[in-house]
Amino acid sequence: MTFAANFLNVIGVVFLSHAVYSAYEHSLLASRSISSPVPSLPLDITLETLFSVLLLCIGVVLSSPDLKPIQWHVWAGRMEKSNEARLVTEVGVGGGNPYAALEERPGFWDVRGAQKAFGGWLRESGEMAN
Amino acid sequence: MLDEKELVLNPIVGESVQHNARTVSNIRALTASLFGVAAGTLGLESYPGFLFYFIGTAVVSVLIFALKADSSPKAYFFRPVGDLWVGDLFGGLMSFVLTWTLFYGLCKA
Repeated sequence: MTFAANFLNVIGVVFLSHAVYSAYEHSLLASRSISSPVPSLPLDITLETLFSVLLLCIGVVLSSPDLKPIQWHVWAGRMEKSNEARLVTEVGVGGGNPYAALEERPGFWDVRGAQKAFGGWLRESGEMAN
Repeated sequence: MLDEKELVLNPIVGESVQHNARTVSNIRALTASLFGVAAGTLGLESYPGFLFYFIGTAVVSVLIFALKADSSPKAYFFRPVGDLWVGDLFGGLMSFVLTWTLFYGLCKA
């Protein structure tokens, strides 16, 4: 995809520069000749300009970064599927567990379990100190 | 009011909205200068020149719709009519006029 996009870009630039240079030469020719009516731009230069601009537009759109989905459920689905994204915990980075707000609700916090764990930690540090 | 209710029912990822807006804005700025080059070399004057720019921007919108948004703009833009189609018409107009006058001066002697 990127190879095709870069290829289109290069070809578009080449054709566009050729068309612009041809138009410049055409204007020089028209200004140097004695005849007063200025001949209009030849058809092939016109077609080449339009064609090269079209190619460049397609190349630019293809080589631009992908659009990201904005629906929350699609984004959350992608986050859940990739293990690396789930482990990211910094704020503001595009990762983390998208359901963290649901999984860590204070009303469902296990108080007795937390008290036991704390008591165990106290005992352990007490033993280590002695 | 309707907006907020819609957002509560189907929440939106703000980071993606920003990223998409940035991408589309870059594409539009770049293609606007390209259209200016084309308009200048073709020797277009006042009204046909601006018409060329608006037609070209419409073509680029169709390209974005077909190639980048997978023909479902609702999935990538919150307000598809406002963001993708009508969008940032007058932001690229300045780049267009700049390159247009540059290349018109070059190719019209």
